[in-house]
Amino acid sequence: MSPADPASTTDALMRLGASTAEAVAKALDAICPEPVERGDVTVVPGEESPFEGFDGPAVTVSVAYVDGVTGGNVLLMTPRGARLIAAAMGDRVGGLDEADDGEEPTELELSAVAEAANQMFAAAASATGVVLGQNVEIAPPDTRLLAAAATDAREAFDATPHAVSATFRACGEPCRLVQLVPNAFVVRMTRALGEQGTEQLSGDASLAALGIAHRSEPGEERRLDDALRDIRVRVWAELGRTHVSLGEAPELPAGAVLELDRKADDPVDLYVNGLRFASGRVVLTEEGEWALRLEEVAGRTARSAGAGLDSDKEGAVI
Amino acid sequence: MARVLVVDDAAFMRKVLTDALTAGGHEVVGEAGDGDAALAAYQDLQPDLVTLDITMPQKDGLATLRELVEIDPAARVVICSALGQETKVLDAIKAGAKDFVVKPFERDRLLGAVEKAVA
Repeated sequence: MSPADPASTTDALMRLGASTAEAVAKALDAICPEPVERGDVTVVPGEESPFEGFDGPAVTVSVAYVDGVTGGNVLLMTPRGARLIAAAMGDRVGGLDEADDGEEPTELELSAVAEAANQMFAAAASATGVVLGQNVEIAPPDTRLLAAAATDAREAFDATPHAVSATFRACGEPCRLVQLVPNAFVVRMTRALGEQGTEQLSGDASLAALGIAHRSEPGEERRLDDALRDIRVRVWAELGRTHVSLGEAPELPAGAVLELDRKADDPVDLYVNGLRFASGRVVLTEEGEWALRLEEVAGRTARSAGAGLDSDKEGAVI
Repeated sequence: MARVLVVDDAAFMRKVLTDALTAGGHEVVGEAGDGDAALAAYQDLQPDLVTLDITMPQKDGLATLRELVEIDPAARVVICSALGQETKVLDAIKAGAKDFVVKPFERDRLLGAVEKAVA
């Protein structure tokens, strides 16, 4: 039995599936000469194999998480697709110089496909890490050539309680991403999404923007809405920003002064779980603590407060 | 011209790096596919510079770098990372790496990092 409730489990799996699939698709876009066609992202029912329907031989590249979370990703492609992706990787660096005309990829081509997968899943792990609020590291890719993908993959990769499948067409060939997800991963993902309540709402919007349907059970939407209202969110004020290069950051000495993009009398922004929500002025309370007097909330200023904003919230100090 | 040791578990990336470095006028004096082989090759070949992958089996790039700097505090290392491994890159720079390139990289970016590191 899953330790998380079914609604939040489905939501966590869809969020994980969508973010990983998009990271993989973007990486493939950068490799393949033609744009990658995005297909469906689906949570695979427990009784089904996530490899079902990928008939014939296939090249698989599996990448496990080694730090932060357990679980893994398997990318399946036709042997022809693997050769085309390898050739596209090679084209970016002047060609692979492979004279082999056979159907099966050569060792160097499999290595090129593995490197492509390494780049895809490093980006995907980074996206997952943002949701979980911690670093997620990946293991080196493991590449296999399977004679009968649907049955051989079921034996080659350990089944997990949950799986998400995403389909693509890359270099004109079918491609499938299977995410094998243990219960512990779902629990952590659900908890992280719970802590990021408003981001979950924007995440659902991003799923819609990606054309990914959230297949809700009847009544689920209402329960989620109720649950989201009770979620505590992180609120912080931001004084200003600047950019330094990754190379410069570790070189900064203690005592260095970084100029920010705000003037001393500019308003300060208020963020709710990463979304800019309001702005105001920094004030000092009678207790000697910093506070923020809100001047604008969600695009509405103090002067337009009568237009729907609770007037007792306007000018609130938090 | 620098004598370079190329370290990456992917044969494809070793070929890409070797081709690019050779075209840029450098000499690739050796290749290694994992951290232990890299440490042995470094002591054997005494290269001017090492290009080092982050994600490798057994001993990853960061662990290899730390051991390498213990062997030779003056070792010059350019890290090859994938997008999304910025935290590891920061750790590597703190551990003594001279520069980094993010895969997929342009040949000029790689050569620029190598030339800056050996200057």
